[in-house]
Amino acid sequence: MKASAVRGHLDGLLLSVLESGPLHGYAVITAVQERSNGVLELRKGTIYPALNKLERLGLLRSVWESEGERRRRCYELTDAGRRSLAEERSVWKEFTTAIGSVLDPASAPGPKPAT
Amino acid sequence: MTATAEGAATPAENPIETHVADLAAALRGPARAKSRMLAEFREGLIDAARDLSCDDTDVDRVRAARRAVREFGTVAELAPDFQRELTVAQARLTARTVMLVAPLLLMCWYLLRWWPGTGGASAPGAARVLVAHLGAVAAVTALLAAAALVATGALARRLPMPRRLPLTVAWSGTAAAAALAVSALTLVASSVLASNWPLCAAAAGVVLVFHAKIAGAARACRECARVL
Repeated sequence: MKASAVRGHLDGLLLSVLESGPLHGYAVITAVQERSNGVLELRKGTIYPALNKLERLGLLRSVWESEGERRRRCYELTDAGRRSLAEERSVWKEFTTAIGSVLDPASAPGPKPAT
Repeated sequence: MTATAEGAATPAENPIETHVADLAAALRGPARAKSRMLAEFREGLIDAARDLSCDDTDVDRVRAARRAVREFGTVAELAPDFQRELTVAQARLTARTVMLVAPLLLMCWYLLRWWPGTGGASAPGAARVLVAHLGAVAAVTALLAAAALVATGALARRLPMPRRLPLTVAWSGTAAAAALAVSALTLVASSVLASNWPLCAAAAGVVLVFHAKIAGAARACRECARVL
C-alpha cells in the first residue's frame, strides 16, 4: 500500500504500536512494518514530525534514553493517547463496515439487497 | 542492491550526515526543537543503515547508509512535514513570549501611573490616551497568544489548526513589539520631565530589552510561516 494511502491513518498507526509499551522512533517504524507484514509502505522520515505532533497534542510523552554512546528519544502513550486510540479504532471499524457494505453487499451484515 | 544501482560507494563519504545537513539547511524554526527532531532523525537513519548492512566493510556501510537515506525520503519529501512542526513550535514560542511581555508592559504603566514623582497622574491627556491604547494592544495580543497556545495544543486534537494561525501569531507579536517600542520612547520622554527619572529610565530599559526579545520571536515566526 502506497505511502500516500497510509498518510491519513498515520496517527492511529503510531498510537497503536505504542500501546504495548515505550518505543523509540526507529522501533516504531519497524513495528508498523512488521505488524502489516511489510504491506504498508512508510516514508520513514515522516515518522519523526508525526511523533512530535502527537506529543504536542498531549497524546504521547517522551524521554531521552542513553544506550552506550547513542541517545534515543522513547515515546509512550498518555491517558489521552489511549482514549484517542480507542476512538480511532471505533471510527475505523465504522468506516470499514460501511465501505465493505457498499463494495461487497453479499457479505455485509444486515438485510440483503433485493434481487 | 548492485554497486551500479547505488553508484560507486567510497568509504570517505557519509550519506547520513550529508542528508541531515541538507535537511537542516532547508528548515527554519526554534533551534532547540529543530536540533531535537534532527537528532532523532539522524539516530533513526543510523539504526536503519545498521539493519541494511550486510557485512562490516566500509563500502557496504556507505551503501547501506545511502539506502537508508533513500527509504527515509528526500529533503523535498520530508521538509514540509518537519517545517510544519517547526512553524507550530515557533508560533507557540512567540505566543509564550507575548504572554509574558504583555503583562510586564501593563505593570510598567501601572507603576508609572501610581509611583510618586513619575508624573503619571499629572500626565497630559494625550499621553493618557496613548497609555490606554498601548494597554489595550498588550491585552489583545496576550489574549490572542493564549488562544494560539490552546489552538495548537490540546484543542488541536478536536479541531484542525487554522492554516494562517502562525502568521496571525507573528503579526500579533509584531504589534506587541511595536507597542513596547512606543512605550520605551514614552518612558524615555517621561524620564526627562519626571522628578523620579531613574525609575522611568529603568522601566524604559526593561521595556527595550523585552521589545528586542519579542520582535526577534515575531520575525522568526514570520519567516517560518513564509516557508511553510
